[in-house]
Amino acid sequence: MTEEKKDKNPEIVGFACSFCSFKASEMAGSLRMKYPEGVKLIQVPCSSRVDPAFVIKAIFEGADGVFVAGCHPGDCHFIKGNYYTRRKIAALKEMFNAFSIKNKIRLFWVSASEARRFVEKVSNMYNEIKEAKT
Amino acid sequence: MKTGIFICHCGHNIKHTVDIKRLKEYFKHYFNVEVAEDYPFVCSEPGQDMIKNNVETHRLDRVIIASCTPALHQELFKDLVKKAGMNPFLLRRVSIREHCSWIGDNIEKNTEKAIKLIKAGLYASVHYIPLEEKQVDVTKSALVIGGGVSGLSAALFLSQMGMQVYLVEKEAELGGHVRNLKNIWPARIDGKEIVERMASALLQRDNVEIFTSTTIRSFEGSFGNYQAALDTLEGEKKIIAGGVIVAIGFSPFNAQLKPEFAYGKDERILTTLDFEKGFDRLTLPEKPRIAILYCVGSRDEMIGKPYCSRVCCINALRVAEKVKERYKDSYVESFYMDVRAHPRGGEEYFEDTQEKGVLFTRGNIAEIIPESRGLLLRGEDTLLTMPFEREFDLAVLSIGMSPPLDNQYIASLLKIILDKDKFFLEAHPKIRPYDTALKGIFIAGTCSGPKDIEESINHGRASAIKLYGLLNLGYTFVEPFIALVDTKRCSGCRACEQTCVAKAIKFDESRRVAHVEEAACMGCGLCNSTCPSSAISLKGHLDSYIGDEIGAILEAI
Ligand code: SF4
Ligand code: SF4
Repeated sequence: MTEEKKDKNPEIVGFACSFCSFKASEMAGSLRMKYPEGVKLIQVPCSSRVDPAFVIKAIFEGADGVFVAGCHPGDCHFIKGNYYTRRKIAALKEMFNAFSIKNKIRLFWVSASEARRFVEKVSNMYNEIKEAKT
Repeated sequence: MKTGIFICHCGHNIKHTVDIKRLKEYFKHYFNVEVAEDYPFVCSEPGQDMIKNNVETHRLDRVIIASCTPALHQELFKDLVKKAGMNPFLLRRVSIREHCSWIGDNIEKNTEKAIKLIKAGLYASVHYIPLEEKQVDVTKSALVIGGGVSGLSAALFLSQMGMQVYLVEKEAELGGHVRNLKNIWPARIDGKEIVERMASALLQRDNVEIFTSTTIRSFEGSFGNYQAALDTLEGEKKIIAGGVIVAIGFSPFNAQLKPEFAYGKDERILTTLDFEKGFDRLTLPEKPRIAILYCVGSRDEMIGKPYCSRVCCINALRVAEKVKERYKDSYVESFYMDVRAHPRGGEEYFEDTQEKGVLFTRGNIAEIIPESRGLLLRGEDTLLTMPFEREFDLAVLSIGMSPPLDNQYIASLLKIILDKDKFFLEAHPKIRPYDTALKGIFIAGTCSGPKDIEESINHGRASAIKLYGLLNLGYTFVEPFIALVDTKRCSGCRACEQTCVAKAIKFDESRRVAHVEEAACMGCGLCNSTCPSSAISLKGHLDSYIGDEIGAILEAI
């Protein structure tokens, strides 16, 4: 790893579903809660829209971490999309484990009203990854 | 491709923490960008005019508005570009307020993040294709499930507004639990009177069909055109409804789940409901000693009922009042955690009851032991923090509300969701308290959580008004974000068919390819990310958009 890369702040790509997690991020903004700008979101209709290929692509293109955020189990707007997501991400984690990059991927549940939880989750992820980089 | 980028200052909101000048300079000469402008408030009238003029004069075919979060002002901006002659699905909103300017104070970092987000919008929109919102007719009829006070009031409102109503009640009689209540506070009338007034008004109307002793066997379709099969006493009946109101009420808490209270083992231990039905026939000593237990089946984590049932305090006060009326010299002691006499006038009622000589002891009852002389109550006075034992002739348990027994069945039939306590969940507790996540399906009354009678009637009426508003238009737009199968790529593995929760994917046996029923598709994109052959895409959220957004975010600037 080059010196230059080491200094850089982590870039984290997050996929957030329109109905819960993206809403929570909007609320976090409205409440002026602070979190690292290295966290950038891509809005998807449901966490189940996230093709594992997107996660892999993001890692390939240099993301230091990728997360998928969806509604809590049982709360999916599309009934059980998040159960599929959970399985997909679990499988993906296995694969990432084999490459020793397991920490780069996370899945968490954040409901529309949980702005604080959203901020905690993304900040923790960011900080842990930043720590590991230096 | 000609893209216009319009950057909003949102007054100081964005301007103070994002370098707008730098953004504008950055994108001015960017590939595919025809114009890049900034404006103090793009949602203001002059701001809108500025965008509209630019679309018209530059003949833009992509518009990016970098401002507040995409959900805000969405209809306004869609209409705006439409008026300027552009397909609204070629518009992209980028949130540089909620996702940049408000989450950090470092202008340079915020500006760089804004550049990346706008770039993501720019890259994605290259792939955008014009979409059409399809207008479809809706059936002006409603299915009301449940014939208690909230269902009845919903049905009555809808029918008075001229809508065909199908009311389904699983019991033989309409009226739900309210039918059994006597001398309801504060109206001082019998519940029977309330429900019969409503039911007879309903029976007189010729646009209402009432099905009692009826259950719902199947349910399909989408907003404007739901189809249900009913199991009636006369056999199966099929109906078509534009929308649904779920008002299946609650189940009284089963007091046997608290075995320490010995309910069901001794006839001197009653619930408030038993008391309601049987007090007139009860024989008690001349100076009876009566214990009333609050919060039985409510505010009790141990049995998974952490919520307040809202009505049991008033019910308990009604019991006390009734006993005092009949036995002036009775000894009535209430054991409570807090008295939450919450509706208007409730506190005064509580005071009145105290003045009548009813005692209130803040205490937990640990057990009720039936003995021949009387019922022995053991508990702790939580104000004195001292244990006590007292003997009574009668114990009344003020039971709370539990979710309706059919909740799971109805939830999975209609594909709506239950909350952690197993009541039905509203789409949003504040902004959409009557809606479910499904368009045209509303909830009313106690099936979405404990409520008193007034609240249940209000809830029923409110849901009815909302449904009426939706159906009365006579048409609806179907969101064009539906899945599409490229039959040339489809290998016929049927993976999509198996995953689709909405059952929107049908397999064409003759051609051996998948096919999406547009009306049923919810637009989640699960099939898209499942298909191993990349044969399915979700309109409005194509792989190419998302892929390029990822790229844009990670590109060096
Ligand atoms: S987008 Fe969702 S609802 Fe529509 S067909 Fe695909 S899986 Fe089914
Ligand atoms: S998963 Fe793809 S290839 Fe398989 S049946 Fe569905 S559309 Fe066809």
